[in-house]
Amino acid sequence: MERNRLQRILRAAWPRVVAIGILLGIWQLLVVAGVQSPGGASLPGPGDAIGEIGFLVHTDVLVPALFQTLERAAIGYVLALALGTLIGLAVVRVPVLRAGVGSLLAGLQSLPSVVWVPIATLFLAIGGQVENAVYFVVIMGAFPSIAMGLMSSYDNIPPLTFSLARSMGARGPRYYRHFIFSATLPGYVAGMKQAWAFSWRSLMAAELIIGSTASSGLGQILDNGRSLDDLPEMFAAVLTILVVGIAVNDLVFAPMERGLLRRRGLIPA
Amino acid sequence: MTVALFRRPAVLTVEADDAFVTLEGVTKVFGHGKRAMTALENVSLEMARGEFVCVLGASGCGKSTLLSLIAGLDKVTSGTIEIADGRPAVMFQEPALLPWLTVRRNVELPMRIHNLETDQRNQTVNRLLSMVGLIDFADHRPHQLSGGMRQRSALARALAQESELLLMDEPFAALDALTRDQLHDDLNRIWQETGKTIIFVTHNVREAVRLGDRVVLMTPRPGRIAQIWDVDIVRPRELDSFEVSGLAHEITQRLRAGAASDGAE
Repeated sequence: MERNRLQRILRAAWPRVVAIGILLGIWQLLVVAGVQSPGGASLPGPGDAIGEIGFLVHTDVLVPALFQTLERAAIGYVLALALGTLIGLAVVRVPVLRAGVGSLLAGLQSLPSVVWVPIATLFLAIGGQVENAVYFVVIMGAFPSIAMGLMSSYDNIPPLTFSLARSMGARGPRYYRHFIFSATLPGYVAGMKQAWAFSWRSLMAAELIIGSTASSGLGQILDNGRSLDDLPEMFAAVLTILVVGIAVNDLVFAPMERGLLRRRGLIPA
Repeated sequence: MTVALFRRPAVLTVEADDAFVTLEGVTKVFGHGKRAMTALENVSLEMARGEFVCVLGASGCGKSTLLSLIAGLDKVTSGTIEIADGRPAVMFQEPALLPWLTVRRNVELPMRIHNLETDQRNQTVNRLLSMVGLIDFADHRPHQLSGGMRQRSALARALAQESELLLMDEPFAALDALTRDQLHDDLNRIWQETGKTIIFVTHNVREAVRLGDRVVLMTPRPGRIAQIWDVDIVRPRELDSFEVSGLAHEITQRLRAGAASDGAE
């Protein structure tokens, strides 16, 4: 039993390990080739970056920054989820909202949320209170995916499902509970997954640009590295940000989506 | 009037006051103005409680439209539809099972919607699943079942609605011949056990003759009733029996004669 489990994990892991290995290999090749910045700083290798991560952990910089950033990500994400769900439901329920809000949402989704940073800073980051500005940017980045996911999966409900609900006399809350919520769940979860990617990007942009006035997160480590021309620190930050993005997707959203689709027979067991 | 009772003195002719389902001059027009299309014209029919009526016709004759009007899924343009009690249960050509629910949960769905107690629900679901032969598959999900099993589940779900009237819209059309034959037997048995009133829409002449107390033939453009046959062949019937084949042949001849001679008037 234990052995099977181990084998399964290894089987799932090796393509990732190979992909990461190739990436690190290319990186190391560039270092060996002697790539330099115009200013004459040489590119740090993967070893340098990982060593720097160790140093940042040891000096008690990285872990608090990571938790600070994750806290912001979690709060911003939950707010975006709530707003996106409310707007998605409203658009689904009220046909008049449909035409206008539908295309507006698609527009907002393609709008890079970093464009909100200056406005958010001006209006919300009053007296060094940058958190609200950060949340605003994250919410604007993530909520359209949630609302769009809900809306498009509602559009994809087979007409027969509506006929069935009507022929059974399902109305009001029961109609939503037994038919609409369950039917839109896969699209909603796909939207949640996409919203995570958007909120993570938006958060990094916000932390990086709103910058040193914010209590420090991963974005500030990156910004700090830039101002000190500390290339290993910059790479350590980028690597950490990448790993967190992948980890949350692979450990939270991907299994959630896979389980859901498997139970419905939409992907093989 | 386009309704013609012929062949034998009607065994199941219904007195007006104990008709269970009454269609009176039902007309359905889709669209407006120049693009208006008359799907049904002046369809009148009475059904007795417990009767099994097969509505037969080529595609486009309005038989499915008629069914969705009776189901209340669409509104008549003119005429009236009266059902003595309750909301009819509907079974569609596709099983329309909810993929996120097990067979058991799918079957109990109508009862959950109408807020029945858990005990009562479980009892009814077990009884119905045994009736359609799916008790061992109660915890499977729809995608794990064969086409025939899915339609059995859909039948159990329709029965779970505890409606006196069951509307079936070509429910076995997508199944292979062997499975269909088996489901004919099962449906015949279940109808006899439960005493439901059934309106069964099909384009398959033998299927109609095999199952129905009456066969209502419809002709297209506009959809109207061409002729009605009483089928007094002893049940259970077999698809290739002499009697079933004979009447099916007669109906097929009438069907071929087609829209040109819209006889029976």
